[in-house]
Amino acid sequence: MQASSRAAETLFIAATLGLLVFGCHRGPADAEPPTGRVVLIGGRLAPASGVEDGEWRKVAKDDANTRFSGLATITPGNVATLRVAWTFKTGIARGHEAAPLVVGSTMYVVTPFPNRVHAFDLKAPNGTPKWTYEAHPEARAQGVACCDVVNRGAAYDDGRVFFNTLDDHTIALDAATGRELWNTKLGEVARGETMTMAPLVVKGRVLVGNSGGELGVRGWLTALDARTGEIAWRAYSTGPDADVLIGAAFKPYYAGDRGVDLGVHSWPPERWKIGGGTVWGFVSYDPELDLLYYGTANPGPWNNEQRVGDNKWTSGIFARRPADGSAVWFYQWSPHDLYDYDGVNESVLADADTPNGPRKLLFHADRNGYLYVLDRANGQVLSATQFGHVTTSRGVDLTTGRLNYVAEKQPHVGQTVHDICPGSPGAKDWQPMAFSPKTALLYIPHNNLCQDEEGMQANYIAGTPFVGEAIKMRPGPGGNRGVFSAWDPLGAREVWHIDEDLPVWSGALVTGSNLVFYGTMDGTFKAVDAKTGALLWHAELDSGVVGQPITYRGPDGKQYVAVFSGVGGWAGAVVPAKLDVTDPTAALGFVNAMRDLPQRTRAGGTLYVFTLP
Amino acid sequence: MTGALDPASTQALAISILWWVFFWTGLFVFAAVLVALVVACVRGRRRARREGSAAEAVPERSLEQRRERAVLAATVLSVVILIGLLVASIVGGRYIYGNPSPPLPVKVIAHQWWWEIQYPGPRSSDLVVTANELHLPAGRTAELELQAADVIHSLWIPNLQGKRDLIPGHTTRLSILPERVGRYDGHCAEFCGLEHARMELPVFVESPERFSAWLTAQRRPAPAPSTPEAERGARIFTKGPCAMCHTVTGTDAAASVGPDLTHVASRAWLAAGALPNSPRNLRAWLSDPQRLKPGSQMPPTGLSESELDDVVHYLGSLR
Amino acid sequence: MRAPSLLLLALLSAAGCRRERRSFSEPSPLQARVERAEPLPSGEPLSHFLDNAWAVSEGARLFGWYNCAGCHSLGGGGGMGPPLRDGAWRYGGAPADVHRSIVEGRPNGMPAFGPRIPDYQTWQLVAYVLSLSGRLRLDVEPGRPEAIAIGKPPVMVSKKLPSAEPLPEAP
Repeated sequence: MQASSRAAETLFIAATLGLLVFGCHRGPADAEPPTGRVVLIGGRLAPASGVEDGEWRKVAKDDANTRFSGLATITPGNVATLRVAWTFKTGIARGHEAAPLVVGSTMYVVTPFPNRVHAFDLKAPNGTPKWTYEAHPEARAQGVACCDVVNRGAAYDDGRVFFNTLDDHTIALDAATGRELWNTKLGEVARGETMTMAPLVVKGRVLVGNSGGELGVRGWLTALDARTGEIAWRAYSTGPDADVLIGAAFKPYYAGDRGVDLGVHSWPPERWKIGGGTVWGFVSYDPELDLLYYGTANPGPWNNEQRVGDNKWTSGIFARRPADGSAVWFYQWSPHDLYDYDGVNESVLADADTPNGPRKLLFHADRNGYLYVLDRANGQVLSATQFGHVTTSRGVDLTTGRLNYVAEKQPHVGQTVHDICPGSPGAKDWQPMAFSPKTALLYIPHNNLCQDEEGMQANYIAGTPFVGEAIKMRPGPGGNRGVFSAWDPLGAREVWHIDEDLPVWSGALVTGSNLVFYGTMDGTFKAVDAKTGALLWHAELDSGVVGQPITYRGPDGKQYVAVFSGVGGWAGAVVPAKLDVTDPTAALGFVNAMRDLPQRTRAGGTLYVFTLP
Repeated sequence: MTGALDPASTQALAISILWWVFFWTGLFVFAAVLVALVVACVRGRRRARREGSAAEAVPERSLEQRRERAVLAATVLSVVILIGLLVASIVGGRYIYGNPSPPLPVKVIAHQWWWEIQYPGPRSSDLVVTANELHLPAGRTAELELQAADVIHSLWIPNLQGKRDLIPGHTTRLSILPERVGRYDGHCAEFCGLEHARMELPVFVESPERFSAWLTAQRRPAPAPSTPEAERGARIFTKGPCAMCHTVTGTDAAASVGPDLTHVASRAWLAAGALPNSPRNLRAWLSDPQRLKPGSQMPPTGLSESELDDVVHYLGSLR
Repeated sequence: MRAPSLLLLALLSAAGCRRERRSFSEPSPLQARVERAEPLPSGEPLSHFLDNAWAVSEGARLFGWYNCAGCHSLGGGGGMGPPLRDGAWRYGGAPADVHRSIVEGRPNGMPAFGPRIPDYQTWQLVAYVLSLSGRLRLDVEPGRPEAIAIGKPPVMVSKKLPSAEPLPEAP
């Protein structure tokens, strides 16, 4: 009796051990290193364009999207004495994501809906208003703006100010008087289209794109004649090659992007017509190669089971000729995107002087969690390195260019998938990074968010959302929801980082004196040392900061720093829109991660201008 | 004849053979037991009579031995029969669930109370989405991927395969190798709500040529309206209540909580087998679906008489 | 021993008696096409929807099907559209006001669904929307949702339905 019970016990233990061992062999380990590889060690970096003029003529300062200003009057030594020079209240309590522009002695700002444009005379004291333009957009456009009624800034060229309105108009104003020169309607609110991006003017063409990837909108980039406002060309992100402006010049680097009408055949029948791929990020331009670069947003609906296929040309990047819009190459960051990983994040252009000769590079921190270094002449991926916590993919295959998804994290209808990292806003959303040629580092404002997600049937009704996922976001590992980091793109490594409790939803700015500026969603505007990340100065603003800081030399010769406060955007909409924090799925699940925000800041909208005493 | 005993596919044949094997074995065992019972009764009575008259008992030991032998024989026979049935089940199961390649993939999604059918093609854009009619080519295995959109359903096409549940959030599979061309009935075999009884799935097994012709036709977008009535109907359809739930590929109507109507006129039945597809029935269905299929999730459209005529005209043109 | 259990059983079965009356068949088209934005015609009291668990659950289904959830979020917490579970109403929280919002739309982005949804479904939606802020009887409120957990509204607002006047804006 004794012996047999011992034998049974041994058998039981052996079986348990066996099962345990069996359990150990489930799938490859998650800790596998990413396959991104660096090929440019020892390179020296310079921005692709820019001579310091002390102005801020484009939202990103230059066509290379660096947000680097050579101004160096404000230094790490004296920044502690930085104080407010003047402020201006916009009277609009929504997300202020725009960058002010400074041209000559005038500053131009565009507000969120109702999209007023203010010009300030910088020669007069304390930001005296010069003129104001009222766009009077249609009120119903607010109902189809997915992520607050934001606007990301205006563009200036040749005495004209260009900007987009939420109800799909691009408007040109006389920069001197604020008189409307032309006004072109480009989209339909009734179909869910809005416009929030900042235009870029290249060779007399105003480049603008639409928003609405959550409403079954078909994405496009449109070039308008800067003089007349006439449409020069429109390049769709989905559909037949003729609509996408893919012709004989199109030479994508990877085989998967070659073929006829992939924008039709990588979708279920006709679904490309409501397939998203909107263009609401920043556009870059390389004058030497004469190429435009811009990202396309997520495919719609979010529910991936309703759109089998690679869903070209969404969640990728196009290189195009500005003259006729013809596509030169394309690369898809997230083929058949599963998580709303828009590919619209800005591309920073820089040239590397490598032992093997000069390389023209493009840096892009994608929502999917990888920082890509591309050869911007041909679209080859040189390295792709995780810069945030990623559970949804295991690296990028550099031979095929494809992202390796983790099958267990793929969302399905009727199933809840846990620990999707990064969450839908990505490791980094629209908030633009800055690049300093002095330190050769990228300064990346980003998120640390994960989510649980359940797929549901998305029902297309024109002009209403087309999503099909129930989402609950929460902080990523460590509990901090945001990170501000300095990244060495050639070494593919992080140099320093600052954990921020809230997602860093503001842009970054870096100066010639190695100062980096950014803001937080609870209203702190910070200056840190570009080399070490040490906090040198901060100011408490009246509302959370989701705008893009800029710097300029005033007519008085002093250096100024300007930024909007005014919490909002997708991350911050919970405050101005008074969303109900008891519903975790509110604001497409973002509210679950931002429940404390209404207690930490309030809605507002103020332009702050700082200078040294 | 409809039913599991008129097999039209390899799997249904296996099921029916198995069924007959079990039936005849069961019948044999049943008969054998009855015979043994009768024999035992007759013998027992005879012995009792003998004992009563002659008062000379059969030796206890030999009786005991005979009984033991009988029990042993019956046990062995039962075990042999059960093992035989087990082997038959396993062999039959191989045929029922075996999956010779390459199968034709078909996705079946059960909704309250209708069937959504999808045929993926070589390219994403070759996907065919249809409803309430399953077309299969004879001589080729179809692998059905089964899903449910709301509650648990079960698909049963007796002539072709056994039942298989469709469970929300969980994919199940079913293979069918149809052998005989014909029309068969599929049913929902799991109570799924009010209209469970009117959730039919007509199945058409066709020659490979006819099937591929059908599939090619289904891949085309809906024809553009060609008459003024159909044009008006198309406008009412895409701008009015219909587009809240239904898709007609090639138009602005791209909603998907109701059946895809791109080629609705090519279908034999309306509302998951509730009524034959004719203009009169379609009109009746559109004006008052709740009378024809009470509880259906198709609401009354609220269209006027002339609007109804136009929409019926338009839908009738969607061949 | 037997008497108390019998009593208990009787009590339990008595609890089952006061269930709302369910109607599983929808009204005929005539009934469905009642005057838009009017309180229901005579003979069809509002309680047919507001005191009816089935109407509320149908409203919940339609809230997803017709994409109300897309803007107002699955749990009514809002997003592109304003929240519906906080008891604050821009255009009035009386059943007729909510009905009018759905049928006619509102200027800041709420589309008009009147011509595309039958009236009885609009009322089912109204019932569900009111349930989000806890304004219906407890026993007709929808149960635990099968989707990703949302939970109940935190504060039970007054059980009395609000009057037609909008609530004062929070300071």
